[in-house]
Parts: sequence; C-alpha cells; structure tokens
Amino acid sequence: MIGAAIKKDVWLLLRDRGALISLFLLPIIFIVTFGSMFKFGGDSGTPRPIPIWHAPGDARGEAVARSVSATEGFTAVAVGSAEEARRLVTTSANDAALVVPDTGPVELVIDTAAPVQARGPIQGALTAAVMRTLSPVPLDKLPPFIEVKSPPGISHPLEHISSFQVTVPGNAVLFGFYIALTTAMSFVGERRTGTWRRLLAAPVPRWKALLATLVPYFFVGVAQLTFLFGVGALGFGMQVAGSLAALAVLSLCVVFCAVCLGLLFAAVATSEKQLGGIGSVVLLVMGLIGGCMVPRIVMPAFMRGVGHMVPHSWALDGYYDVLVRQGTSIADIAPSIGALLGFAVLFAGLGLWRFRFER
Amino acid sequence: MLSLRGLGKDYGARTAVAALDLDVERGECLGLLGPNGAGKTTTISMACGVVTPSRGSVSIGGIDLASRPREAKAKLGLVPQDLAVYDELSALQNLRYFGALYGLAGAALASRIDWALGVVGLRDRAGEPVKHYSGGMKRRLNLAAGLVHQPELVILDEPTVGVDPQSRNHIFETVKQLGKDGMTIVYTSHYMEEVEALCDRVAIVDAGAIVALGKISELVAQHAGKGLELELAGAPEVLDAADRAAAAHGKVVRDGRVLRVLPNDGIASLVAAIEAVGATIVRIESRQANLETAFLALTGRGLRDAA
Repeated sequence: MIGAAIKKDVWLLLRDRGALISLFLLPIIFIVTFGSMFKFGGDSGTPRPIPIWHAPGDARGEAVARSVSATEGFTAVAVGSAEEARRLVTTSANDAALVVPDTGPVELVIDTAAPVQARGPIQGALTAAVMRTLSPVPLDKLPPFIEVKSPPGISHPLEHISSFQVTVPGNAVLFGFYIALTTAMSFVGERRTGTWRRLLAAPVPRWKALLATLVPYFFVGVAQLTFLFGVGALGFGMQVAGSLAALAVLSLCVVFCAVCLGLLFAAVATSEKQLGGIGSVVLLVMGLIGGCMVPRIVMPAFMRGVGHMVPHSWALDGYYDVLVRQGTSIADIAPSIGALLGFAVLFAGLGLWRFRFER
Repeated sequence: MLSLRGLGKDYGARTAVAALDLDVERGECLGLLGPNGAGKTTTISMACGVVTPSRGSVSIGGIDLASRPREAKAKLGLVPQDLAVYDELSALQNLRYFGALYGLAGAALASRIDWALGVVGLRDRAGEPVKHYSGGMKRRLNLAAGLVHQPELVILDEPTVGVDPQSRNHIFETVKQLGKDGMTIVYTSHYMEEVEALCDRVAIVDAGAIVALGKISELVAQHAGKGLELELAGAPEVLDAADRAAAAHGKVVRDGRVLRVLPNDGIASLVAAIEAVGATIVRIESRQANLETAFLALTGRGLRDAA
C-alpha cells in the first residue's frame, strides 16, 4: 500500500511543474549565482586586482607590487597616478588600492565605511604584503611569529576550497527543507479534495495512512539531495573530502528532519494558501539564520548562536566538515547527526500532538 | 449489513449526533435525508470509520468497526460528496491507487478496475488525465473509486450533485443496477425522484436523531398532509412579511415569490394572514402528499434547500 502511495505521489510530483522547479531547478540557479559571486570575488584562480601607484623606477614600490601579486587571491595592477588609484576605489571598480610614495608610509586606499567582514581580510592581507616588503629586518630571516594550525581532532581541509564547497550544501539544505512544504501541501490537498476521507475509510490503519503520505516525500527529498550534490560534484567541481557514507547519512538525516517538519506544518496549517505564504517565509528565515545564504562564520557571535536554534545550521556544519575536511567520518559529524535527529523528533512529536486525522 | 447502535458524536459541548440506531438489511437501498447540520454527514463519516464516534457502535456485515476495523472497512465502499480523485492522474492510475488501499494487486486489481470502469462507462478514456474530464465524468470516476474493490455495502453521499442531466442519469442507472445486483446501498441525494425511485426505505435525520424511518409510502401516509403552493405578488418587504405570517399558520418553504405551506389548520386563516400584510395571492394550488411534504412536516424545511 505504501508502494502504491509512493508511485501515486511521484506521478503527482512529476506533473507539478511548480514543485519540480522549486525543488530541483531553483537550487541550481541559486548555486550558480552564489557560487559565481564568491568565485569571482577573489580566489587563487581569479585574483582580486589591486591598483598600485609608485614613481617610475622606484625599487620600494616595485617590491611592494611583487609582494602583493605573490599574495594568494590578489594581483597588483600598476596605474599612472596616485589620483587614479584613489579614483578606482571610489568608483567601486576595486576594493582597495596602494599608493607607494618615495618616502614615508604606504597609503592603503580602502573604504573605511565598508563592513569589517568585507574590509578586514583585504586590509589585513595587504598590510601584511606591505610589511613583508618594507620591514627594516627581512621577515624571512627571523624565526616565525605565527603558525597556522587546525586544533587537534579536526581533519585537514582541502588545499583549495572552491566557493561551490559552500554554496552547494548551503542551497541543498535551504531547498532540501522545502520538501517540508511539499509534504504539508500534499496533506492539505488530500484533505481539501476528500481523498484523505477515502484513505481513512479504507482498511488501512491510521498510522499507516500517515506514513503513506510522508514516506513518498522522504524518497523525493533523497532524490533531490542526490541530484543537487551530483550536479555540484559533476558540474561545479565540488569535492567530498570526507567519507561518502558520512555524506549519505547526513543527507538522510536532513531529509528525515525536513519531512518531520512537513508533518508539523501539515498539523497546524489550514489551507494551501496559508502554507504557501507563511510556510515558505518560515523556511526562508530558517535558512537565513542557519547560514544557507550567508555563511555563519561571517555572522556576529550572537547570530551564530541563534543559528543553532534551527536544524539548517547543524546540517551545514556537518556538510562543511564532510566536504572540506579530509577523512571526516560519520563519528566526526555525530553532533550534526544528533542535532538533526533531535529536531526531527521534536517536529514529529509536535506534529503528531497537533495532527487531527478527523479535521 | 450495516448496524448503528446508540451512535453519537460530540464536538466539545455541541452534540452533532445524539444516539442513533439504524439497521440496513443486506441488499437493501436506504435513503438518508436530512437538512444541513442535521448530522447526516457525521453519521455517514462514523459509519465509514472516518470519524470516531463519541458513543455507540457500528457493525458492517456483522463485524464491529471499532474492534476489527480492517475487516469491517474491507466490506465498505465510500463515494464522498467531494470529487475525491486526483485530477493530475488518469482514471486508471486513480483506480490502481484506490484499489491498492484495499490490498488489491496484479491481475485481481486489473480485473476490478476494468469492471469498475465498465460500470461507470469510462473504459474508453481511462488513460486520460482526470483534469480533462467533464464534471459528470469526474463524478462517475468518483463512484468507480468507491466501487473498485466491489464492496458489499456502498455509501453514496450526494453522488449526482452538480452534474449534467446525462451523467446524472448514468450514475442513477448505475446505482440502480448495483442495487439489483444485490449490493447494499446507503444513498443521500437532493433529488426526491432519485430517492423515491431507488430506495426501499428512507431515514430522515434531524437535529442529530432519526425522526422517521420506513418505507416511503408509510412515511407519506403517516407524516405528509396535503400541501399548498401559493404564488404571491408585492414588494420584497411585503413578501417577507407574508412569509412570516404564513409561518404562524404552518410549515413554510419559500422559493422567491412562491411559498410552499403545510398548513396547521384551515386554508382560510392562512390566506387571511397573508392578505393582511398586504401581499396579493396570484395563484394557489393544492399539492399531492409525497416524500417532500413528509420531509417538510417532519423537519419544517424543504428538501431541496436542506438535504
């Protein structure tokens, strides 16, 4: 009977162009958009151009330019005058510029009103590039001041982390949770048309009727995430640094949690219109808080804490480890799996408590 | 075949059905009539296991619905008033799914689907998406979905509502044939002639209780008096006043300028009361006692307005 329900719901979904677009096509559009935004913002493949001016033949200026170009993610571009370097920053064509006079301090031209999250890394990197060049004592002759290391117990990251390592899971989680909406829509639609009454009148236990409405969407959700990660890997070069088993288990937990959320939505919603309006906004806000669109690492500490109140953030933490950190196993992402299952139990519990078979 | 004993349902403080007793014999067609809010749908829903009763019991084919729901429900087919089918699927896909709910599969399912499609005359268009069907064809599929497992008892809730006369006649004839073939039928309808032509007995439900039960001829003889139909002329407020005045002298159903009245006493006092408020009686006719006048006498409301 559940097999018949799966077949029926898959047929219905295949004929629902809107649902197919929102579950399969929109995430790809978002992945391409967000991935491109981060990619062309500056990485080793497409370095960020830094206009630099120094007097012709000035050895100091030339050394600074070489140092900037040697810094990962940046390339120095010589310009004709100090004014031009400053103007290029003013017109937003460039994020920063350097003006290297014959003597005295180097001028770092940057919009100091820009958010520190955006300005800080550029300012820090360029300051370091200048210091490496102009330090009265050659830095490479001194013992290292600082060594960058991951804390013990955390697997090594990939060498070159592409923007798609972040945007694929981000959008997979964001849109993966939209299966909750599709699940709830199905429940409300069944009630509206009267097919739910038919199901209750059939010799099918009520728990099985409930399961028959949920299970098809679990499989649709699994197909959706498989599709999105597949496209991410094959189309955008997304790598899986950890174990595939960990990726699969985490994805199953995400879908399970989303379907349980769908049950809760179905229990409280009274119409498809209400679901379409409120439900989609709730999912969007959960995605935002959870870091699906803006990585939580750039959020202030308070918002990072708030993020843990939604399952999306736990899912993304897990995905980040699996995709970026080499050798990540199921045990390594146990906190994410545990949190997702905890949310699933909470959603399912509230949903079952509020669900009315006989509404 | 269907036995309801002390069946009742409360929604909070409100009692939808008090304590209803009803027996439907095997092979019988019972008409279930009642005004809106009388408890008719709640009764049907409890009989099908869709709504859990607050009290009482339901037995289908001698099997208690509460203790052995799967066995009891397997004997029952429900044809709801809503078009409870999937528009995006074909008739074939719909029936495959609804048949599977009753444990049918393989050749048995295919054979039952073929039979059900034949019964409702949809074999030729079984592969088309239902959304391309006319309203009448959808109604016929709705009926087929309740019959696909060949139940012993079928409950039809307004199966012909809102369809064209041709489809309505088709459905009516189908139900009639099912009755002849020995299927037990519980039938609700707006259409008096359908109930009179199909049903062996009629149960009239009002305010959550059965107020009359018996053969149509018995109900008419016991409860229906001769009715009057009066066509009035006058301003709307005058017609409203005439309606109120007539209600003091009998049970009244108003249809625009026409009042159908079952007078408590003589005609003279009724006519005088209507004329006293300024209305002009254009036409006055005597109406034969029938199920509709019996229904009016029992519930105080017209069947077409209320069922």
